[in-house]
Amino acid sequence: MSSYIEEFESKVKPKDYYDRLYDELVRLNPRLNAFNALIKPDKNGIPLSVKDNICVKGIEATASSKILKGYIPPFNATVVERVLKTKRFSIIGKTNMDEFGFGSFGINCEKPAKNPLDEERVAGGSSSGAAIATALLKYHVAIAESTGGSISAPAAFCGVVGFTPTYSVISRYGLIDYANSLDKIGFMARSADDIRVMLDITKGKDNRDSTSTDSKIVGLHHKKLVIIDELIDKVDEKIRSQFFEFVEKLKNLGYTVKNINLNEIDLSIPAYYLIAMAEASTNLAKFTGFKYGFKLNDFSKNYNEFFAEAREEFGTEAKRRVILGTFIRSASVKDKYYSKSLIIRKELIDKLSKVLKDAFLISPTMPIMPPKISEANSMSPVQNYATDILTIPPNLCGLPHISFPYSYSNGLPLSAQIVGSQFNDYGVISFVSEWEKNFEYKFKYNIGEI
Amino acid sequence: MKIGLEIHVALPTKSKLFCGCSTEQVDTPNINICPICMGFPGSKPSLNEEAIILAKSIANILNCKIRDKISFVRKVYFYPDLPKSFQITQLQESIGYEGLIIIDKGKRINIRRIQIEEDPAKIIRSEEYSLLDFNRSGIPLVEIVTEPDITSEEELTSFIFTLKARLYYLGIDIDREIKADLNISLGKERVEVKNVTGTKNLLEAARYEIERQTELISRGIEPTKETRSYDEKERKTKASREKESDEEYGYIYEPDLPEYNIKNYSIRETVDPIEKAKELAEKHAYNPKIILEAIAFDRYALDLIERNEEKYNFNSLMQAIMEIKRFKIDNIDDLSLKMLLEEIEGGFQIDKDTISSIIKHEKVKHSDFSQEGIDNGIREFIEKNPDILRRYIKNKKLADYVAGEIIKRYKAKPKEVLKRTIEILNSMTGQK
Repeated sequence: MSSYIEEFESKVKPKDYYDRLYDELVRLNPRLNAFNALIKPDKNGIPLSVKDNICVKGIEATASSKILKGYIPPFNATVVERVLKTKRFSIIGKTNMDEFGFGSFGINCEKPAKNPLDEERVAGGSSSGAAIATALLKYHVAIAESTGGSISAPAAFCGVVGFTPTYSVISRYGLIDYANSLDKIGFMARSADDIRVMLDITKGKDNRDSTSTDSKIVGLHHKKLVIIDELIDKVDEKIRSQFFEFVEKLKNLGYTVKNINLNEIDLSIPAYYLIAMAEASTNLAKFTGFKYGFKLNDFSKNYNEFFAEAREEFGTEAKRRVILGTFIRSASVKDKYYSKSLIIRKELIDKLSKVLKDAFLISPTMPIMPPKISEANSMSPVQNYATDILTIPPNLCGLPHISFPYSYSNGLPLSAQIVGSQFNDYGVISFVSEWEKNFEYKFKYNIGEI
Repeated sequence: MKIGLEIHVALPTKSKLFCGCSTEQVDTPNINICPICMGFPGSKPSLNEEAIILAKSIANILNCKIRDKISFVRKVYFYPDLPKSFQITQLQESIGYEGLIIIDKGKRINIRRIQIEEDPAKIIRSEEYSLLDFNRSGIPLVEIVTEPDITSEEELTSFIFTLKARLYYLGIDIDREIKADLNISLGKERVEVKNVTGTKNLLEAARYEIERQTELISRGIEPTKETRSYDEKERKTKASREKESDEEYGYIYEPDLPEYNIKNYSIRETVDPIEKAKELAEKHAYNPKIILEAIAFDRYALDLIERNEEKYNFNSLMQAIMEIKRFKIDNIDDLSLKMLLEEIEGGFQIDKDTISSIIKHEKVKHSDFSQEGIDNGIREFIEKNPDILRRYIKNKKLADYVAGEIIKRYKAKPKEVLKRTIEILNSMTGQK
């Protein structure tokens, strides 16, 4: 599989190409809820969608939150700026997501996203719309974002390639924060080669994001794969057996596979959620309903009443995280939870770095098949958080990872996730490039085919 | 009595702490603003390194230990002047700690901590509503936290003076008034007077609290732990409506800023005016207090002293400095200074005309009156005001008044005139 971007650029597009594309998406969107906003693209480049928590100058950015309705950022996110500078892309819309990224299924928002492969099922989250758009459009790339699995999960459920870089490789300037020490902007596409193009364009130090780095990213293509038993144990039986068949195929392709134990990996979910909620509750503090986005116009109230009323606009999961996050930060329990979680993160980074020195980590991306929306709605928060068990470790540790489909079952994709060592971003991409030589992805939709 | 202070000083950087907006004080509200200092979603802070150099320099003049690695935290609270609903500040890894200032009479005031933080917006209150000016939002501040080592009003005054003089020599604009929280306890419990603006108010607030708490204690009432505010108009502290509780700010590390290694950041060279005054006083056997008063907030005065202390008599030089300060001369050349010193050493009165002449390098006009001329002048003045003689008999001090008038008129040397005036008055009234 080669680059759709290059293929698109080499083709002569019909005159009305972008208009038809737009009309088709306008028609489909109410059914699938992929986009929060559709934009008539300027007619020059490959269609590009941007997750709605990433700022595009002059275009409403809501992060799917009612409290940000009407917020029109006066600046471009650095990632958007770098992409637009190439003049090779046309923005077609802002994609739907769980509110502020708080969710694994794409249903924590006003208009729950639907999986285009089975519309009763979830598309995965939080970058739900990015995955749906990628599954719909033949020529397209999505700018998405992951904090704890928000790229891998929907990419896996919608059967597309989803890449999350090493933390700090892509500037976060212009990202509406969820948890700053965990947030990573990444991409979804239909091929690993397209992901590589996007990474080439967007990587590197940005003065507007002090945590961004200039570290040289590398492409070490290891032939050794590691499976962590504690993770595999938590995967649904059916998925596990299919995954082992996939592993056999990889062995035939020359990979060696090693199983290891890593007890500490079980701590990654609590550590992740404690850090994420602590940071999220500070990021959400700024939404007080009077400078941007949702505005209360009743100024007869005192400030406390005023901002408390504005914050009623948050959805249930956002409120839960504000309350839990505020508790986690409180002086009486901070050492017990927040500080300990920082230590666990550091420990896990050390442990995984050793494992990944000469290997990739491999696992299914999700421990379950995409649930029906009704099933997902009836899950408890804890059950919900537990489905992130496979995507959280690389996210918590800021390690590059990529999800891609390796098989199909009843029309739904089975996806695997490859994790690399810090800055081995090109390594995990090239693993998928190699895999694509022996495997053909199946797409139900090919909108915009030429 | 125990007094501890938390003092906020604005750093004179060109741009704000985390964005490129100007720090210039302007009248038009909300023009020096951008998405970062307004806390718009998606914006992120980038640290202004000039602020680090200045904060490190302040830590240095307060004899603090300076950390090689510093980091920032988020202090979360809801207030309309705080655009992100959290302030980026420092906690454990603050830039300076364990400092010390020695004030008058060798008293040691320990500095607990110095931290860098961002200023909130300015609230302009009126009866009906409040307005917000975000020009101030994001101005870099250092907060200087002292131990409660100050034990009297005099020490408080001396501490503030010493601190401000040292800051002045570092190039910190002390006209941009300092803001402080004053912790003051005469009893067992701590009373905190929050957000006092300006040195004068700080001293007044302290004075008022000392009186208030003393009075309570004298009646057998223990002052309670509380937060108060200072009312400038009534010159009183008042109980705040704020509830007194250990504040819960939910600090976490600021995840948008890395840990900074500041070991290689420079420290601004500076002079300690207090030490300098002592040095000069010892060298020239002069009163150190007078020197300090002259130079504490006047770098130019110190420059003049240092350039000329070897050339001239030190007493005369100091007198010249006082005249230069009195007439607010901001630039005097060598020749003018020399002329001024001649006037002083000649015993002449210095006035506006003298100054304007020496600035223009013109000869200063003195009445060239002989002894006889001055005597005539004195007599003439008395004749025009015959009442003087009668009054002089009762009140000899009247000679000062007459001499003063003559000195003004003739620009003569004061000592001589006074001597002759007394002699003439005595002879005209038949006194001795």
